[in-house]
Amino acid sequence: MTSGFGAALAIAKKDIVTQFRKKFEAFSMFLFALIAVLAFSFAVVTGGVVPEEVGSALLWVIIFFTGMFGFAPIFLSESETGTLRGLATAPIPAWSVYLGKVIYGFFLMGLVEIFLVPIISVLFGFSILNDLPLAIATLLVGTLDLAAVGSMASALTMPSESKATVFPLVYFPTATSGLMLLIEITKIIVLGPGLIPVLLIFEILLAHLIAMLTLSASVFHFALSP
Amino acid sequence: MSRTRLIFLAITAVISLLYVYMTWIFSPPDAILGENVRIFFQHVAPALVSYGLFGGTLLCGVMYLWKGDLKYDILGAVSIKLGLLFTTITLLSGMMWADAAWGTPWNWDPRETTTLILWVAYACILAYRASVSDRESRAQFGSIFGIVAFPMVILSYLSIRIWETLHPIVIEPSGLQMEVEHMMTLLVAMIAVTFIALIMVELTYKVDSAQEKLMRIKMERS
Repeated sequence: MTSGFGAALAIAKKDIVTQFRKKFEAFSMFLFALIAVLAFSFAVVTGGVVPEEVGSALLWVIIFFTGMFGFAPIFLSESETGTLRGLATAPIPAWSVYLGKVIYGFFLMGLVEIFLVPIISVLFGFSILNDLPLAIATLLVGTLDLAAVGSMASALTMPSESKATVFPLVYFPTATSGLMLLIEITKIIVLGPGLIPVLLIFEILLAHLIAMLTLSASVFHFALSP
Repeated sequence: MSRTRLIFLAITAVISLLYVYMTWIFSPPDAILGENVRIFFQHVAPALVSYGLFGGTLLCGVMYLWKGDLKYDILGAVSIKLGLLFTTITLLSGMMWADAAWGTPWNWDPRETTTLILWVAYACILAYRASVSDRESRAQFGSIFGIVAFPMVILSYLSIRIWETLHPIVIEPSGLQMEVEHMMTLLVAMIAVTFIALIMVELTYKVDSAQEKLMRIKMERS
Protein backbone atom coordinates (compact mmCIF):
# COMPACT_ATOMS: atom_id res chain seq x y z
CA MET A 1 0.00 0.00 0.00
CA THR A 2 1.32 3.42 -0.95
CA SER A 3 1.93 5.78 1.94
CA GLY A 4 -0.53 8.64 2.38
CA PHE A 5 1.95 11.40 1.56
CA GLY A 6 3.37 9.48 -1.40
CA ALA A 7 -0.16 9.05 -2.77
CA ALA A 8 -0.90 12.75 -2.23
CA LEU A 9 2.22 13.73 -4.17
CA ALA A 10 1.33 11.29 -6.96
CA ILE A 11 -2.20 12.76 -7.25
CA ALA A 12 -0.78 16.30 -7.26
CA LYS A 13 1.77 15.29 -9.92
CA LYS A 14 -0.97 13.75 -12.07
CA ASP A 15 -3.01 16.97 -11.90
CA ILE A 16 0.01 19.19 -12.60
CA VAL A 17 0.97 17.12 -15.66
CA THR A 18 -2.64 17.27 -16.91
CA GLN A 19 -2.62 21.03 -16.28
CA PHE A 20 0.57 21.49 -18.34
CA ARG A 21 -1.05 19.57 -21.19
CA LYS A 22 -4.11 21.80 -21.09
CA LYS A 23 -2.23 25.06 -20.40
CA PHE A 24 -5.31 27.25 -20.86
CA GLU A 25 -6.54 26.98 -17.27
CA ALA A 26 -3.63 28.80 -15.59
CA PHE A 27 -3.45 31.31 -18.44
CA SER A 28 -7.20 31.97 -18.21
CA MET A 29 -6.85 32.55 -14.46
CA PHE A 30 -4.04 35.01 -15.08
CA LEU A 31 -6.11 36.86 -17.69
CA PHE A 32 -9.11 36.96 -15.38
CA ALA A 33 -6.91 38.48 -12.65
CA LEU A 34 -5.75 41.21 -15.06
CA ILE A 35 -9.36 41.91 -16.05
CA ALA A 36 -10.20 42.23 -12.34
CA VAL A 37 -7.28 44.68 -11.87
CA LEU A 38 -8.61 46.84 -14.70
CA ALA A 39 -12.20 46.63 -13.47
CA PHE A 40 -11.17 47.63 -9.93
CA SER A 41 -9.01 50.47 -11.31
CA PHE A 42 -12.17 52.28 -12.50
CA ALA A 43 -13.39 52.35 -8.89
CA VAL A 44 -10.20 53.01 -6.93
CA VAL A 45 -7.88 55.17 -9.08
CA THR A 46 -8.16 58.85 -8.19
CA GLY A 47 -5.76 61.39 -9.69
CA GLY A 48 -3.70 58.63 -11.31
CA VAL A 49 -2.86 56.88 -8.04
CA VAL A 50 -4.32 54.16 -5.85
CA PRO A 51 -4.00 54.53 -2.05
CA GLU A 52 -1.41 51.97 -0.87
CA GLU A 53 -3.75 50.35 1.65
CA VAL A 54 -6.45 49.93 -1.02
CA GLY A 55 -4.04 48.46 -3.60
CA SER A 56 -2.54 45.96 -1.17
CA ALA A 57 -6.01 44.87 -0.02
CA LEU A 58 -7.14 44.42 -3.63
CA LEU A 59 -4.20 42.07 -4.24
CA TRP A 60 -5.83 39.40 -2.04
CA VAL A 61 -9.35 40.20 -3.23
CA ILE A 62 -8.20 39.52 -6.81
CA ILE A 63 -6.35 36.35 -5.77
CA PHE A 64 -9.51 35.25 -3.89
CA PHE A 65 -11.70 35.66 -6.99
CA THR A 66 -9.08 34.16 -9.30
CA GLY A 67 -9.04 31.13 -7.00
CA MET A 68 -12.67 30.47 -7.93
CA PHE A 69 -11.55 29.64 -11.47
CA GLY A 70 -8.72 27.41 -10.34
CA PHE A 71 -10.30 25.56 -7.43
CA ALA A 72 -13.83 24.97 -8.73
CA PRO A 73 -12.82 22.31 -11.30
CA ILE A 74 -10.48 20.43 -8.91
CA PHE A 75 -13.01 17.69 -8.13
CA LEU A 76 -15.51 18.59 -10.79
CA SER A 77 -13.15 17.40 -13.55
CA GLU A 78 -12.66 14.06 -11.71
CA SER A 79 -16.42 13.73 -11.37
CA GLU A 80 -17.05 14.55 -15.05
CA THR A 81 -14.40 12.16 -16.39
CA GLY A 82 -15.55 9.39 -14.06
CA THR A 83 -12.17 9.05 -12.33
CA LEU A 84 -13.52 10.05 -8.93
CA ARG A 85 -14.71 6.50 -8.25
CA GLY A 86 -11.18 5.33 -8.93
CA LEU A 87 -9.78 7.78 -6.39
CA ALA A 88 -12.45 6.79 -3.86
CA THR A 89 -11.75 3.07 -4.19
CA ALA A 90 -7.94 3.31 -4.47
CA PRO A 91 -6.11 1.64 -1.55
CA ILE A 92 -5.00 4.99 -0.12
CA PRO A 93 -6.35 7.03 2.78
CA ALA A 94 -9.01 9.60 1.79
CA TRP A 95 -7.03 12.46 3.32
CA SER A 96 -4.21 11.83 0.85
CA VAL A 97 -6.65 12.51 -2.04
CA TYR A 98 -7.57 15.79 -0.35
CA LEU A 99 -3.93 16.66 0.35
CA GLY A 100 -2.97 15.88 -3.25
CA LYS A 101 -5.65 18.27 -4.49
CA VAL A 102 -4.50 20.96 -2.03
CA ILE A 103 -0.92 20.64 -3.29
CA TYR A 104 -2.16 20.93 -6.88
CA GLY A 105 -4.34 23.95 -6.00
CA PHE A 106 -1.37 25.57 -4.25
CA PHE A 107 0.84 24.93 -7.28
CA LEU A 108 -1.73 26.32 -9.71
CA MET A 109 -2.38 29.49 -7.70
CA GLY A 110 1.35 29.87 -6.98
CA LEU A 111 2.09 29.71 -10.70
CA VAL A 112 -0.39 32.50 -11.38
CA GLU A 113 0.80 34.58 -8.40
CA ILE A 114 4.45 34.54 -9.55
CA PHE A 115 3.38 36.76 -12.44
CA LEU A 116 0.39 38.42 -10.85
CA VAL A 117 1.84 39.80 -7.59
CA PRO A 118 4.65 41.89 -9.19
CA ILE A 119 2.26 43.19 -11.87
CA ILE A 120 -0.42 44.20 -9.34
CA SER A 121 2.13 45.82 -7.01
CA VAL A 122 3.51 47.90 -9.93
CA LEU A 123 0.09 48.86 -11.33
CA PHE A 124 -1.42 49.69 -7.92
CA GLY A 125 1.83 51.34 -6.73
CA PHE A 126 2.63 49.50 -3.49
CA SER A 127 5.63 47.49 -2.36
CA ILE A 128 5.74 44.29 -0.35
CA LEU A 129 9.55 44.51 -0.19
CA ASN A 130 9.41 46.38 3.16
CA ASP A 131 9.36 43.02 4.92
CA LEU A 132 10.23 40.46 2.25
CA PRO A 133 10.49 37.34 4.49
CA LEU A 134 7.05 38.04 6.00
CA ALA A 135 5.61 38.86 2.55
CA ILE A 136 6.85 35.53 1.14
CA ALA A 137 5.62 33.64 4.21
CA THR A 138 2.21 35.35 3.91
CA LEU A 139 1.96 34.52 0.21
CA LEU A 140 2.88 30.88 0.88
CA VAL A 141 0.58 30.39 3.88
CA GLY A 142 -2.22 32.45 2.29
CA THR A 143 -2.14 30.55 -0.97
CA LEU A 144 -2.04 27.23 0.88
CA ASP A 145 -4.99 28.37 3.02
CA LEU A 146 -7.05 29.31 -0.04
CA ALA A 147 -6.07 26.02 -1.74
CA ALA A 148 -7.13 24.05 1.38
CA VAL A 149 -10.49 25.80 1.45
CA GLY A 150 -10.96 25.78 -2.33
CA SER A 151 -10.30 22.02 -2.61
CA MET A 152 -12.82 21.27 0.12
CA ALA A 153 -15.34 23.65 -1.49
CA SER A 154 -14.85 21.88 -4.82
CA ALA A 155 -15.51 18.50 -3.16
CA LEU A 156 -18.66 19.85 -1.51
CA THR A 157 -20.12 21.01 -4.83
CA MET A 158 -20.13 17.45 -6.24
CA PRO A 159 -23.60 16.34 -5.05
CA SER A 160 -25.20 19.66 -5.98
CA GLU A 161 -27.38 19.98 -9.07
CA SER A 162 -26.12 23.45 -9.96
CA LYS A 163 -22.40 23.00 -9.35
CA ALA A 164 -21.15 26.20 -11.01
CA THR A 165 -23.59 28.38 -9.04
CA VAL A 166 -22.99 26.61 -5.77
CA PHE A 167 -19.17 26.77 -5.73
CA PRO A 168 -19.01 30.47 -4.69
CA LEU A 169 -21.62 29.75 -2.00
CA VAL A 170 -19.29 27.18 -0.46
CA TYR A 171 -16.00 28.97 -1.18
CA PHE A 172 -17.04 32.35 0.25
CA PRO A 173 -18.04 31.28 3.80
CA THR A 174 -14.99 29.09 4.27
CA ALA A 175 -12.37 31.36 2.64
CA THR A 176 -13.44 34.78 3.92
CA SER A 177 -11.99 34.35 7.41
CA GLY A 178 -8.52 33.68 5.95
CA LEU A 179 -8.93 36.44 3.37
CA MET A 180 -9.57 39.07 6.07
CA LEU A 181 -6.40 38.09 7.91
CA LEU A 182 -4.34 38.08 4.69
CA ILE A 183 -5.53 41.58 3.78
CA GLU A 184 -4.65 42.86 7.26
CA ILE A 185 -1.13 41.35 7.21
CA THR A 186 -0.40 42.68 3.69
CA LYS A 187 -1.61 46.15 4.71
CA ILE A 188 0.82 46.13 7.65
CA ILE A 189 3.69 44.95 5.40
CA VAL A 190 2.98 47.78 2.94
CA LEU A 191 2.17 50.61 5.37
CA GLY A 192 4.52 49.64 8.21
CA PRO A 193 3.74 48.44 11.75
CA GLY A 194 0.48 49.64 13.28
CA LEU A 195 -1.09 49.17 16.69
CA ILE A 196 -1.78 45.48 16.16
CA PRO A 197 1.28 43.17 16.22
CA VAL A 198 1.56 41.61 12.76
CA LEU A 199 2.96 38.37 14.12
CA LEU A 200 -0.19 37.84 16.19
CA ILE A 201 -2.33 38.04 13.03
CA PHE A 202 0.12 35.78 11.19
CA GLU A 203 -0.15 33.23 14.00
CA ILE A 204 -3.97 33.38 13.74
CA LEU A 205 -3.67 32.86 9.96
CA LEU A 206 -1.41 29.87 10.57
CA ALA A 207 -3.90 28.49 13.10
CA HIS A 208 -6.68 29.02 10.52
CA LEU A 209 -4.69 27.06 7.92
CA ILE A 210 -4.01 24.20 10.36
CA ALA A 211 -7.69 24.17 11.44
CA MET A 212 -8.95 24.09 7.83
CA LEU A 213 -6.48 21.37 6.80
CA THR A 214 -7.18 19.23 9.85
CA LEU A 215 -10.97 19.66 9.76
CA SER A 216 -11.18 19.03 6.02
CA ALA A 217 -8.76 16.08 5.99
CA SER A 218 -10.50 14.40 8.92
CA VAL A 219 -13.99 14.54 7.35
CA PHE A 220 -12.90 14.08 3.74
CA HIS A 221 -13.59 10.34 3.60
CA PHE A 222 -17.28 11.20 4.08
CA ALA A 223 -17.12 13.39 0.96
CA LEU A 224 -15.61 10.53 -1.08
CA SER A 225 -18.01 7.85 0.10
CA PRO A 226 -21.24 7.53 -1.94
CA MET B 1 -48.03 18.30 27.06
CA SER B 2 -45.70 16.59 29.50
CA ARG B 3 -45.18 17.89 33.05
CA THR B 4 -41.45 18.55 32.49
CA ARG B 5 -42.21 20.64 29.41
CA LEU B 6 -44.84 22.67 31.28
CA ILE B 7 -42.37 23.37 34.10
CA PHE B 8 -39.72 24.43 31.60
CA LEU B 9 -42.18 26.74 29.82
CA ALA B 10 -43.23 28.26 33.16
CA ILE B 11 -39.59 28.85 34.19
CA THR B 12 -38.87 30.44 30.79
CA ALA B 13 -41.93 32.72 31.14
CA VAL B 14 -40.84 33.84 34.63
CA ILE B 15 -37.23 34.47 33.56
CA SER B 16 -38.41 36.31 30.43
CA LEU B 17 -40.59 38.63 32.54
CA LEU B 18 -37.63 39.17 34.89
CA TYR B 19 -35.49 39.94 31.83
CA VAL B 20 -37.98 42.62 30.71
CA TYR B 21 -38.17 44.09 34.26
CA MET B 22 -34.39 44.16 34.74
CA THR B 23 -33.71 45.63 31.29
CA TRP B 24 -36.24 48.46 31.47
CA ILE B 25 -36.68 49.20 35.19
CA PHE B 26 -33.98 47.64 37.40
CA SER B 27 -30.92 48.47 35.28
CA PRO B 28 -29.65 52.06 35.89
CA PRO B 29 -28.64 54.33 32.97
CA ASP B 30 -24.95 54.05 32.04
CA ALA B 31 -22.53 56.89 32.89
CA ILE B 32 -21.52 57.27 29.21
CA LEU B 33 -24.25 55.54 27.16
CA GLY B 34 -27.17 56.79 29.27
CA GLU B 35 -30.52 55.09 28.55
CA ASN B 36 -29.08 53.55 25.36
CA VAL B 37 -27.39 50.92 27.52
CA ARG B 38 -30.75 49.05 27.53
CA ILE B 39 -30.19 48.11 23.87
CA PHE B 40 -26.97 46.39 25.01
CA PHE B 41 -28.90 43.52 26.66
CA GLN B 42 -31.02 42.91 23.53
CA HIS B 43 -27.78 42.91 21.53
CA VAL B 44 -25.24 40.83 23.48
CA ALA B 45 -27.53 38.00 24.60
CA PRO B 46 -28.81 37.11 21.07
CA ALA B 47 -25.23 37.43 19.76
CA LEU B 48 -23.86 34.88 22.23
CA VAL B 49 -26.87 32.59 21.68
CA SER B 50 -26.33 32.73 17.89
CA TYR B 51 -22.68 31.68 18.43
CA GLY B 52 -23.99 28.80 20.53
CA LEU B 53 -26.46 27.79 17.82
CA PHE B 54 -23.75 27.80 15.15
CA GLY B 55 -21.66 25.72 17.57
CA GLY B 56 -24.67 23.40 17.70
CA THR B 57 -24.51 23.06 13.91
CA LEU B 58 -20.86 21.99 14.22
CA LEU B 59 -21.72 19.50 16.95
CA CYS B 60 -24.70 18.08 15.02
CA GLY B 61 -22.48 17.77 11.91
CA VAL B 62 -19.93 15.73 13.85
CA MET B 63 -22.69 13.61 15.41
CA TYR B 64 -24.35 12.93 12.04
CA LEU B 65 -21.06 11.88 10.43
CA TRP B 66 -20.33 9.68 13.43
CA LYS B 67 -23.75 8.08 14.03
CA GLY B 68 -25.41 8.53 10.61
CA ASP B 69 -28.73 9.38 12.29
CA LEU B 70 -30.81 11.85 10.25
CA LYS B 71 -32.16 13.54 13.39
CA TYR B 72 -28.75 15.20 13.89
CA ASP B 73 -28.89 16.61 10.37
CA ILE B 74 -32.39 18.03 10.95
CA LEU B 75 -31.22 19.50 14.27
CA GLY B 76 -28.12 20.98 12.58
CA ALA B 77 -30.28 22.67 9.94
CA VAL B 78 -32.62 23.98 12.66
CA SER B 79 -29.58 25.44 14.48
CA ILE B 80 -28.58 27.28 11.29
CA LYS B 81 -32.07 28.73 10.76
CA LEU B 82 -32.38 29.93 14.35
CA GLY B 83 -28.75 31.05 14.42
CA LEU B 84 -29.57 33.25 11.43
CA LEU B 85 -32.65 34.62 13.23
CA PHE B 86 -30.63 35.53 16.33
CA THR B 87 -27.82 36.98 14.21
CA THR B 88 -30.43 39.15 12.47
CA ILE B 89 -31.66 40.39 15.88
CA THR B 90 -28.01 41.05 16.86
CA LEU B 91 -27.35 43.01 13.67
CA LEU B 92 -30.55 45.07 13.95
CA SER B 93 -30.15 45.86 17.66
CA GLY B 94 -26.46 46.60 16.99
CA MET B 95 -27.42 49.05 14.24
CA MET B 96 -29.85 50.79 16.61
CA TRP B 97 -27.14 51.03 19.25
CA ALA B 98 -24.51 52.20 16.75
CA ASP B 99 -26.85 54.91 15.52
CA ALA B 100 -27.37 56.14 19.07
CA ALA B 101 -23.75 55.80 20.23
CA TRP B 102 -21.65 56.49 17.14
CA GLY B 103 -24.00 58.54 14.95
CA THR B 104 -24.52 56.09 12.06
CA PRO B 105 -26.19 52.67 11.99
CA TRP B 106 -23.35 51.04 10.03
CA ASN B 107 -19.65 51.86 10.59
CA TRP B 108 -17.85 48.92 8.91
CA ASP B 109 -16.52 48.07 12.33
CA PRO B 110 -14.70 44.66 12.32
CA ARG B 111 -17.31 43.11 14.64
CA GLU B 112 -20.19 44.46 12.53
CA THR B 113 -18.55 43.26 9.31
CA THR B 114 -17.63 39.79 10.60
CA THR B 115 -21.14 39.33 12.03
CA LEU B 116 -22.67 40.20 8.65
CA ILE B 117 -20.20 37.81 6.98
CA LEU B 118 -21.29 35.16 9.49
CA TRP B 119 -24.93 35.74 8.53
CA VAL B 120 -24.08 35.45 4.81
CA ALA B 121 -21.90 32.36 5.45
CA TYR B 122 -24.62 30.40 7.24
CA ALA B 123 -27.25 31.59 4.76
CA CYS B 124 -24.93 30.13 2.08
CA ILE B 125 -25.06 26.77 3.89
CA LEU B 126 -28.87 26.84 3.76
CA ALA B 127 -28.77 27.75 0.05
CA TYR B 128 -26.24 24.96 -0.54
CA ARG B 129 -28.41 22.42 1.27
CA ALA B 130 -31.37 23.43 -0.91
CA SER B 131 -29.28 22.76 -4.05
CA VAL B 132 -28.68 19.08 -3.12
CA SER B 133 -31.79 17.01 -3.84
CA ASP B 134 -30.54 13.61 -2.65
CA ARG B 135 -31.47 13.47 1.06
CA GLU B 136 -28.48 11.40 2.23
CA SER B 137 -25.99 13.53 0.26
CA ARG B 138 -27.58 16.70 1.64
CA ALA B 139 -27.14 15.44 5.18
CA GLN B 140 -23.59 14.17 4.60
CA PHE B 141 -22.21 17.13 2.68
CA GLY B 142 -24.26 19.67 4.66
CA SER B 143 -22.70 18.30 7.86
CA ILE B 144 -19.20 18.65 6.43
CA PHE B 145 -19.99 22.22 5.35
CA GLY B 146 -21.32 23.04 8.83
CA ILE B 147 -18.03 21.82 10.32
CA VAL B 148 -15.60 23.62 7.98
CA ALA B 149 -17.56 26.91 8.19
CA PHE B 150 -17.14 27.14 11.96
CA PRO B 151 -13.74 28.99 12.01
CA MET B 152 -15.70 32.06 10.82
CA VAL B 153 -17.61 32.04 14.14
CA ILE B 154 -14.32 32.04 16.07
CA LEU B 155 -12.96 34.88 13.92
CA SER B 156 -16.13 36.91 14.46
CA TYR B 157 -15.79 36.45 18.22
CA LEU B 158 -12.07 37.33 18.18
CA SER B 159 -12.45 40.24 15.70
CA ILE B 160 -12.53 42.93 18.41
CA ARG B 161 -9.23 41.63 19.76
CA ILE B 162 -7.53 41.39 16.34
CA TRP B 163 -8.62 44.66 14.72
CA GLU B 164 -9.01 48.24 15.95
CA THR B 165 -12.67 48.50 16.78
CA LEU B 166 -15.39 50.75 18.15
CA HIS B 167 -16.76 47.79 20.14
CA PRO B 168 -15.72 47.77 23.81
CA ILE B 169 -14.08 44.55 25.09
CA VAL B 170 -16.56 43.59 27.83
CA ILE B 171 -15.52 39.99 28.53
CA GLU B 172 -11.98 39.99 29.97
CA PRO B 173 -10.13 37.07 31.63
CA SER B 174 -10.56 38.97 34.93
CA GLY B 175 -14.37 39.10 34.48
CA LEU B 176 -17.06 41.30 32.95
CA GLN B 177 -16.04 44.97 32.66
CA MET B 178 -19.35 46.62 33.66
CA GLU B 179 -21.46 47.74 36.60
CA VAL B 180 -22.87 45.04 38.91
CA GLU B 181 -26.52 45.82 37.98
CA HIS B 182 -25.70 45.62 34.28
CA MET B 183 -23.80 42.37 34.84
CA MET B 184 -26.81 40.86 36.65
CA THR B 185 -29.19 42.03 33.90
CA LEU B 186 -26.92 40.57 31.22
CA LEU B 187 -26.82 37.25 33.06
CA VAL B 188 -30.64 37.11 33.28
CA ALA B 189 -30.87 38.19 29.61
CA MET B 190 -28.50 35.38 28.65
CA ILE B 191 -30.54 32.75 30.55
CA ALA B 192 -33.87 34.04 29.17
CA VAL B 193 -32.72 34.22 25.54
CA THR B 194 -31.06 30.78 25.82
CA PHE B 195 -34.27 29.24 27.18
CA ILE B 196 -36.37 30.94 24.48
CA ALA B 197 -33.90 29.65 21.86
CA LEU B 198 -34.13 26.11 23.27
CA ILE B 199 -37.95 26.18 23.05
CA MET B 200 -37.71 27.47 19.46
CA VAL B 201 -35.17 24.74 18.60
CA GLU B 202 -37.53 22.06 19.92
CA LEU B 203 -40.58 23.45 18.09
CA THR B 204 -38.74 23.95 14.78
CA TYR B 205 -37.19 20.50 15.10
CA LYS B 206 -40.64 18.95 15.52
CA VAL B 207 -42.03 20.82 12.49
CA ASP B 208 -39.01 19.91 10.33
CA SER B 209 -39.10 16.26 11.44
CA ALA B 210 -42.81 16.08 10.57
CA GLN B 211 -42.06 17.61 7.15
CA GLU B 212 -39.30 15.05 6.68
CA LYS B 213 -41.68 12.20 7.48
CA LEU B 214 -44.29 13.66 5.13
CA MET B 215 -41.74 13.85 2.32
CA ARG B 216 -40.76 10.21 2.87
CA ILE B 217 -44.39 9.08 2.81
CA LYS B 218 -44.98 11.06 -0.41
CA MET B 219 -41.87 9.53 -2.00
CA GLU B 220 -42.83 6.01 -0.97
CA ARG B 221 -46.32 6.46 -2.45
CA SER B 222 -45.02 7.89 -5.71
